[in-house]
Amino acid sequence: MSQRSFVDLDLSDPDSFAGGFPHAYFRALRREDPVHWNDTRHLVERNGRGFWDITRYQDVKMMSRNPMLFSSSEGGTNIFELHGDDLHGSRSMMINMDPPQHVKYRRLVAHNFTPRMIEKLEGHIRELAREIVDSIAERGSCDFIMDVAAQLPMKTIMEIVGVPEEDQQRLFDLSNKLVGFDDPEYQGSFDEGRMAAAEVAMYGQKLSDLVAECPMNNLASALYHGKVDGQSLDPLQYNYFFLMLMVAGNETTRTMTAHGMRLLMENPDQRRKLVENPALIPNAVEEFLRYNPPVMSFRRTLTDDYELRGKTLRKGDKVILWYPSANRDEEVFADPDRFDVTRQIPEHLGLGIGEHYCLGASFARAQLRSIFTELLTRVPDMEPAGPIRYLRSNFINGIKEMPVRYTPAARSQPARTDEASQSSPAPAGCPFHQGPQGQASA
Amino acid sequence: MKVVVDYDLCEANAVCMRILPEVFQVDDKDSLNILIEHPPESMRGKLKEAVRLCPRQAISIEED
Repeated sequence: MSQRSFVDLDLSDPDSFAGGFPHAYFRALRREDPVHWNDTRHLVERNGRGFWDITRYQDVKMMSRNPMLFSSSEGGTNIFELHGDDLHGSRSMMINMDPPQHVKYRRLVAHNFTPRMIEKLEGHIRELAREIVDSIAERGSCDFIMDVAAQLPMKTIMEIVGVPEEDQQRLFDLSNKLVGFDDPEYQGSFDEGRMAAAEVAMYGQKLSDLVAECPMNNLASALYHGKVDGQSLDPLQYNYFFLMLMVAGNETTRTMTAHGMRLLMENPDQRRKLVENPALIPNAVEEFLRYNPPVMSFRRTLTDDYELRGKTLRKGDKVILWYPSANRDEEVFADPDRFDVTRQIPEHLGLGIGEHYCLGASFARAQLRSIFTELLTRVPDMEPAGPIRYLRSNFINGIKEMPVRYTPAARSQPARTDEASQSSPAPAGCPFHQGPQGQASA
Repeated sequence: MKVVVDYDLCEANAVCMRILPEVFQVDDKDSLNILIEHPPESMRGKLKEAVRLCPRQAISIEED
């Protein structure tokens, strides 16, 4: 056995990520042991005895395009193990399904998320981004996470789903608990996360009651009135779909916004290129996704034995796909650790690929383009004003707090006296709200 | 060679259309139409790029 240059890290322990994603470790793994057995020492009962770390781009891609062999349903898609009711419940979420069931579920809403459909929302998303920057523009300092990064994903996912304004804050607070399940600040225990998930799922019931009476042009309605194998979703399936949309649409885009701004603050020469030429922003968004994907890992379970790079993966084994490692693969990306907003390669895995490719990819990209265009044109000199606090997690690359300061700028329009509620009716023709309640004018 | 699309996977991302509009056309109803089912050999390079870059991995090439 050849000498290894590295010491094993147990990646089931979120503290392995305390100093940020361990890129040096993964560089060594890609070079010396790309399909690496990770013995679990941390909370064995919760995490299982071990798993394979999948570190190379081609391997992550191959497994992603082979859902029958590398199953999302068999053990779910988290690093930790689920049992009994928890596992059964998790399989009611689309993300934990395999074909053919996965195909039928996704089809209920996929047509709402195509690039062409999202493009219709672009103007409204840009307007929301403008209002968010208005809300901080004159202050000169803020917490970038809560005051900026968290705002647009929350507003847009709740609008596209059809959550009434008055319920949005509560849902936002709850959805924070769902991803930060390893961070003691966001939740005290796994049970708290489970309770928050249950509460979000139950809210799905309230939503389905609303759209049962009143079909709308939103996702809540599409899920309610759509059919799988000729049948409507049962309440559990409906509520879990809603739960998944809340989680997927919230934390991830917030995290990408935060890291994108962090990277620009740390690389002012790169930011200057974007300030001078905002047409580069869409490409910069792709480099954000490559360099710092918000989702670090997803799990699959083998349904049969498989030989890979001299290792025998057994039926029932757990594999963890490490997206940040795939996105730094030297075989695919030249000088992979260099952050370059003008980099031309589009094929990163920051949004996954294949069967479970991020359903909200176009939606997220539209939000990121909008918020960064607003920020870079109006507050281009943003700089850190205090330490960044990171989420404790081996799943989401989250940032909890990022104080910033900047030269105060003008609002684009005067503050409304009811700015906090923003309960004005949707503008005529607003694609989120066409329907009996907010009939678009002719 | 023959262009094959898995319509359970295709979601009108239209990356293929950007790469090879002579073969791939996503219409305004978000349906993918294959304009040339058996493209000439000269298109193989671009076809392979479309196969590689489709985010849903919905395209494959069958050799006749």
